[in-house]
Amino acid sequence: MKRLWLIAWKDLRLAFRDRAALLFLLIAPFALIMGMALISGRLTTPAGSNTGIRDIPVWIINEDGEELGNALVEVLTSTELADLLEPQVVQDVSAARQAVEEDRIAGVVRIPAGFTRSVIPVQSGNTWQPSPLVQIEFYANPARPTSAMILEAILREFLSRVEAGRIQGHTAILQMLQSGLASYDQIEAITRQMRQSVEKDESDTGLTLQVANQEVKEEVEFDIMAYMAPGMALMFLMFTASYGGRSFLAERRQHTLQRLLTTPASVAQIFGGKMLGVYLTGVAQLFILIGASTLIFGLKWGDALGVVVLVLCATFAATGWGLLITAFSRTPGQVSAIGSAVMLVFGILGGSFLNTEQFPPFLQTLARITPNAWGMDGFAILASGGGLTDLSYTLTGLLVMGGVLFAVSVWAFSRNRQLVQA
Amino acid sequence: MKKILAIIWKDVLLRFSSPVEWLFFLILPVVFTVVLSLGTPNENSDNRSILLVVDEAKTPLSREILQQLEKSPVVRPIETSRQDAEQRFRERKTLFWMLIPEGVSEERLQSGESLPLTFYEQPNQITALAVRRSVQEAIRTVTQSLQAAQFAVEQAESIRPFENENQRLAYFQEAHRLAVQLQEATPERLMVLRENAPDSIPYDPRTNSSAGQLITWVFIPLFGISVLMVSERESRTLARLMTTPTSSGTFLAGTILGQVLMALVQMALLVGFGIIALKVPWGREPLGLAVVLTAGALAAAAFGTFLGTLVRSSSQANNLSIMLGMVMALLGGCWYPLELFPPAVQNVVKILPTTWAMQGMLDLTLRAGSVQDIWLEAGVLLGFAAVFFALGIWRFRKQLA
Repeated sequence: MKRLWLIAWKDLRLAFRDRAALLFLLIAPFALIMGMALISGRLTTPAGSNTGIRDIPVWIINEDGEELGNALVEVLTSTELADLLEPQVVQDVSAARQAVEEDRIAGVVRIPAGFTRSVIPVQSGNTWQPSPLVQIEFYANPARPTSAMILEAILREFLSRVEAGRIQGHTAILQMLQSGLASYDQIEAITRQMRQSVEKDESDTGLTLQVANQEVKEEVEFDIMAYMAPGMALMFLMFTASYGGRSFLAERRQHTLQRLLTTPASVAQIFGGKMLGVYLTGVAQLFILIGASTLIFGLKWGDALGVVVLVLCATFAATGWGLLITAFSRTPGQVSAIGSAVMLVFGILGGSFLNTEQFPPFLQTLARITPNAWGMDGFAILASGGGLTDLSYTLTGLLVMGGVLFAVSVWAFSRNRQLVQA
Repeated sequence: MKKILAIIWKDVLLRFSSPVEWLFFLILPVVFTVVLSLGTPNENSDNRSILLVVDEAKTPLSREILQQLEKSPVVRPIETSRQDAEQRFRERKTLFWMLIPEGVSEERLQSGESLPLTFYEQPNQITALAVRRSVQEAIRTVTQSLQAAQFAVEQAESIRPFENENQRLAYFQEAHRLAVQLQEATPERLMVLRENAPDSIPYDPRTNSSAGQLITWVFIPLFGISVLMVSERESRTLARLMTTPTSSGTFLAGTILGQVLMALVQMALLVGFGIIALKVPWGREPLGLAVVLTAGALAAAAFGTFLGTLVRSSSQANNLSIMLGMVMALLGGCWYPLELFPPAVQNVVKILPTTWAMQGMLDLTLRAGSVQDIWLEAGVLLGFAAVFFALGIWRFRKQLA
């Protein structure tokens, strides 16, 4: 056991003394975490603040200047949407379009003259003056599809409210006229009265939408970094796993492995020691990244025991992959190249770059071969307030993966004795 | 010239001495582009945010809500069980879900009851606002005619109470018929226009993926020029070369040109893949594309040359090239669209060549730009190239001296 530990400890120290390896062990994942923090705005905002797209630049041209046109301007400039939108009321249509074309803004909302009148017709004597249809124009920037989609959703929701009001009013009035309950002379007064009751009643009848996120908010403040940081840490864990395999083959090439075999140390001890070294390096790498991001970003990873167990299991699975790559490679260069490729492919499949929920089902299933996908699930559960007991499925997945990979690798090694004896 | 060609040929042979090189030259860029294309919606697939819907009511009204949500341009409803929605929500695999509880029915709505639906959203999700508004729009559309009829009854009652319940019901039914007619005749009040362009350009995220991955996977090996330079130094082959009638300029020209040419071949292959497999409109403006790709390759090669004069070992150079390539790609908008970045960051990242290369490619593909439209991006990239080549050559000569 002592020999096993000595070999492992030696490899661990070697890994953290290798400046080039440190770039991938610690600096690269941390640089990418920092980059993601920067682009998500997390570097400038505290943990738990709003995340996602914000401050969408939109210009508004209100040529209508009446009730509904003004109401739309109010909606777009409201405090409720203050974080989401960065509206500016302008006059010049061509300048606004130019701003879209130059990608300075996400879109232009133009409310043409006569919009209000096209929804609320003017009463003229005993008839309602029909107005031609006037549409709100939304000039969208194709290079900002998400922003444009959000703006369109806001406009459509506003218009649905307008439409609901219009239909309510028209139905009530037409029915009164048809049933003889009111005459044309009375309509103007009734309409005025109706508008007040519409405003009063709108929110408390029929189907209502209750938003339920307050409970979760109090329980745990989700931090976008708690999703990004594990993604990068897990991706670069695969580098560590292949780094160990590379050192194994390098030792064979430099004949230090063969020299070791002339000592009373058994093949199993040498092999186990080297794998333990890789494992400990991976564990240390994850703990350093977790510790650094906790200190620098004030990141909350969730239940401490859960984090420790998850790190141990995720590293076990990743080490299994490293071992498998080593078992089927001939040179350190091959391990390095295949390891980097696997690291990147697992990174993208496992959700380090984007949410795997967006993937087609077959890719979501394929992602389960990566320790990254399981690890990401685990860290997300912990960051959302889960504990060790909530991780049982994830931990089982990682342990089974690691166990199977170890078994296959040992079998491959045993069939290829030349690998350690040449 | 002969010497330069010899150096180029040597570098090509060295690079492709292992078949594994093809992994990074072509296979991984293609895999990444495809996976990212599959992971982001495109014009043929559904471009909307997934909204899990748990329908515990199972009434005609609840089905109508689901049908209305299907029409939303923002959300894509997916029906599931409450257990699944709660689990996915807890594991942050879904950002929102909606519960239609038992008892949500037209009858209860007609009787004037208030029926709450619950919308669960992850905390701090600013984009949930848009989704919520879209759900509200769908609900409003479903209940519009019923509510209008209800409203008509209330208004009528405020003028003159009904004599009996039958009269009230008849008034309601007539008003409902009217409201349905009005709803069906509702005109489209929103006109969505896309930016003026010679062709109609539908937004397709595959274009973003293709351009972003092209830059990522070409810039990283070009930064790797530093590895070639340091390896030659480490193995003392550079010192040996300098004893021959080969100037440092010839060595640099051969090394850099070789890598730039290989990068252009790699780009051409990836562009071809983009056109054939992903239908990315790369071929719209071949001259503009050639200008952007060449300027981008030169800028990346210049940075690699400069990096080669800074680092000490080839393994350091290798890892640093990959790391810087990844960070620059991330910040340059190659992995996520720049629109998702905070406004201040959108300005800060203009110091990176990846930002300009990406911008140039999107101008050509998404905005149907021409050569005239990408002169700024190409100019900035060539400026990067000039500055870093100057710095790199200066430091290289200093090191040789």
